[in-house]
Amino acid sequence: MSRAQARPSRSISAAELLRFGLPAMLALVLAVFSALAPGFLTVANVTGVLVNSVALNAIVALAMTLAVASGGTDLSVGTAVDLGGLAFIAAVSAGQPVALAVFFGLLAGIGTGLFNALLIARLGVTPFLATLGTLFIGHSLQQLATDGGNPVYVPAGRITPALALIGHGSCLGIPLSLWLVLLLSTGIGLLLTRTRFGREVLAVGIQAPAALYSGLPVRRILALISIASGTIAALAGILLSAHVNAYVPYAGNAYLLDSIGAAFIGTALSRTGRANVPGTLLGVALFGFMTNGLLLIGWNFYWQQVGTGVLILLTLILAFAGRERVG
Amino acid sequence: MPPRAVPDRVAIERGSKPLFQRALLRRTGVRFGGERSSALTVLAAPDLAAPPVSRIARAIRVTAGLRGAGGLLLILAVLAVFAVRAPSFLDPANLGLILSQSAVLGILSLGLTLVLITGGTDVIAGGIDLSLAGTLGLSAAVFAGLNQAGFGDPACAAAALGTGLAVGLVNAGAILLLRIPPLLATLAVMNICAGLELVVTENSTIPAASPLIDALGGTGPLDIPVLGYLLLALALGLAALLRVTPLGLRAEAVGGHPAAARAAGIATGRYVAGSYIASGLLGGVAGIVSVAFLNGATGGSSEMLLPVVATAFLGFMVSRRFVPTITGTLLATLFLGSLTNGFQLLHVSTYWVNGIEGALILAVVGAGRVRGRAA
Repeated sequence: MSRAQARPSRSISAAELLRFGLPAMLALVLAVFSALAPGFLTVANVTGVLVNSVALNAIVALAMTLAVASGGTDLSVGTAVDLGGLAFIAAVSAGQPVALAVFFGLLAGIGTGLFNALLIARLGVTPFLATLGTLFIGHSLQQLATDGGNPVYVPAGRITPALALIGHGSCLGIPLSLWLVLLLSTGIGLLLTRTRFGREVLAVGIQAPAALYSGLPVRRILALISIASGTIAALAGILLSAHVNAYVPYAGNAYLLDSIGAAFIGTALSRTGRANVPGTLLGVALFGFMTNGLLLIGWNFYWQQVGTGVLILLTLILAFAGRERVG
Repeated sequence: MPPRAVPDRVAIERGSKPLFQRALLRRTGVRFGGERSSALTVLAAPDLAAPPVSRIARAIRVTAGLRGAGGLLLILAVLAVFAVRAPSFLDPANLGLILSQSAVLGILSLGLTLVLITGGTDVIAGGIDLSLAGTLGLSAAVFAGLNQAGFGDPACAAAALGTGLAVGLVNAGAILLLRIPPLLATLAVMNICAGLELVVTENSTIPAASPLIDALGGTGPLDIPVLGYLLLALALGLAALLRVTPLGLRAEAVGGHPAAARAAGIATGRYVAGSYIASGLLGGVAGIVSVAFLNGATGGSSEMLLPVVATAFLGFMVSRRFVPTITGTLLATLFLGSLTNGFQLLHVSTYWVNGIEGALILAVVGAGRVRGRAA
């Protein structure tokens, strides 16, 4: 950044290019796949990708974005997804009202976040290792709760309209999960860019010691972020388990690496190098549409994964090649 | 709003504010931690950052020594409990079983340890190799696939090691030439490896049988499996390499303070590249080992990713300075292996193992943090 400012004439254009790197990449992916696969750019397919793949990934990735913004990584987002789903499904199966079950699910996420907060803010453990520990403990908890990893299905009699509403409901033709993504991304986006607290979070993320010397309550900020991250991830767990009327152990870990990828790609490709909501959402969308596009052009599941990896690597190469020119 | 008093850096890091403030006041006549102090004052006088009294230094050294031994003592205590409660735990056959069951995890963790030593332990800015588990799966698949296609052992082994080498080279290139952060670069490479593994295996188990696999799967002297000897030999070889040659100290310098290492004339890039390439190669070795252990290539290697990370970080507890070391990683590997094995012998549910592993990591890291040498 600093060197970019020192040589304004040439580098600003490169910086501006970088700013549009991620949207450009997404546009490129969309263009190529819509040319190759006729069914790609149809309303049905795009909605399908958004609902089935992007929505839950986006919620978890938003939780991760908060952690990344504060300078950490939350490896326990998957754990919060799982524990949220477990508490929710257990409560529903026990015949509790769905609203109360949602509350229990959120409580599990808050608990996960609180545990992380205790480790990170109170004991000063680095977020990566703290949440790695939480991840392992969460794995044990799930094994103990499900006798080694057996899924918990909601008994047929307990599948109430309220449960179906959470799992499959929609408003104005848009599924509930997408509304939640909209709500959360607007909220977190505004929080990070427009509020004092958001600036403080980013300050802690960029340089925690400097933030501490400036008198910011670093520990409180880190604790709040951990709790928020766990709670948001648990929301995804509730939606996921309501959608399939079951809790599947360790299912949440599937979201972990994608959310790390999306949040960090969004961060790396932003002009400022800070975690940001649009970047994360574009990253999640990029992953979702890449996988879907490779499927539609007839690649089998195995090659899809290779393709996605190569495309991510290419995105990163382009991004950091641009950064080199800027920096 | 009145300006807040700015806490001073040294006092925070030492955790003994009043004592240290008095010492600084005595030596400099400047009151640190007061309203006028700032981080800059301390940074401008770096010699002040050294602990002033030998008493403090001695106390730190003693507790550090205890803690270095503490990790070992904890391991020995747990092993003693197993040995007393389940006498068969100490059977050579059982110890051999633990060794061979730990071989794959151990070899991968050794690879990650090399990356952590050379790249630094800050996970986001420093070194990390998330592709290790993917390398394991891919090279195992390559070995078993070529074996099924009728190739001999030399070709299979060379291809498996070559796979690991290639993954290491891609990682090194992405990180050093293209300047992609290791976390992201190895994450993408992990995806590619996992995908290629599926392409090779078509998501099914590939059986493999060959003289090499028989030899590796057999038992050596003292009834201890060859795989166990392999793990020990690799660990001791790497430890010796890092201890005896200047390589280890230089790698540690690169990881601890890259700028200072560069200023001291160390080719930091070469060391970092070397660590990723070595890590990839070890991933290839682990692939062959896993084929020998399981008599084929089975899927599910991605499950190894987080245990590998956990084991490498758990290895810190044996190190006195709370840094990654080869011996620490080896001990952590064997400890985790014994934990699973001992629980099985005691008929304790192995569901607890992960949780205990997690709690241990936290306890170890927490203890290191309290001492002020945080990870």
